[in-house]
Amino acid sequence: MKTTTQFTLAGLILLLSAFTLNNSINWEISQGHSIKFSGTDAEGIFKTMTGDITFDESNIDSSQFSFKIDVNSINTGNGMKNKHAVSSKWFDASNHPSIQFESNKFSKTDKEYLVTGLLEIHGIEKEITIPFSFINNSFVAKFSINRLDYKVGNTKGMNNKVSNEIKLDVTIPVTSK
Amino acid sequence: MNKTLLHGIVAGLLTALASISYLMLYESILYVDFSQILNVGSVGGASIISGLLIAAGYLILEKMNKEKWKGGLNVLIILLSFLSILGPISISLPLEIDFPELFPGLAIPMHFFPALIFFGLQPFFLKKT
Repeated sequence: MKTTTQFTLAGLILLLSAFTLNNSINWEISQGHSIKFSGTDAEGIFKTMTGDITFDESNIDSSQFSFKIDVNSINTGNGMKNKHAVSSKWFDASNHPSIQFESNKFSKTDKEYLVTGLLEIHGIEKEITIPFSFINNSFVAKFSINRLDYKVGNTKGMNNKVSNEIKLDVTIPVTSK
Repeated sequence: MNKTLLHGIVAGLLTALASISYLMLYESILYVDFSQILNVGSVGGASIISGLLIAAGYLILEKMNKEKWKGGLNVLIILLSFLSILGPISISLPLEIDFPELFPGLAIPMHFFPALIFFGLQPFFLKKT
């Protein structure tokens, strides 16, 4: 009888720990996420994103990020700029409707986490390492990209007014699944 | 009360009425909310000020005995009205405001209301010579 109780308890503990482990690594993107971009003469947000997040602070090697941003959800605050941004001169949203990121590798420094993965913008894929933090169930990342690496716009004529380096400020609040 | 000043006040009030009516109709028909930028207070205030500014231009010419220049002043007012539409075309609205592409359609017509109403009322405020 005593042995049966011990086995039952051990089984329960194992079962509960499995749930705890599962809850700590699978995350769902909540409302209020924010993807801001800013550069000289170019500022705005992307309003729509989807993604799958697996992240465990105690075992970051098992983590996985997969994000998809809807290019047509761009908002610069100016309707004509929005239309221009999704045109073939910039993001070419009809042919490349989404910006995607797939993680490959995670690491940790003293202050923050680093995720290395493939960022696809305008149909061009480049490997990038993005520093981020995870505080109060929110992923926060601030980094820069060169728009010319992804052939977003060019440097001819008035396009030259937009800086090549574009700062990104990403906040993704999450809830455990 | 000076007839030109009265003209400006009446034109300003009617401009405010027209602009506020247009604002409310536009927002309710198109289900947009630009109240952070344009609301009853800001539109009403700007309309009355614009009516008074046009009247001030006329008053200055009357004081200078340059009544013949009123045609030139009218052309200047029309030119300024056209130039002022660059504002709503180039403005970047706060990013939380949806449908920024519908903002020029709201703001641009309003830029012509002051001149249109002031000139339209002119026959009612002609001075007897």
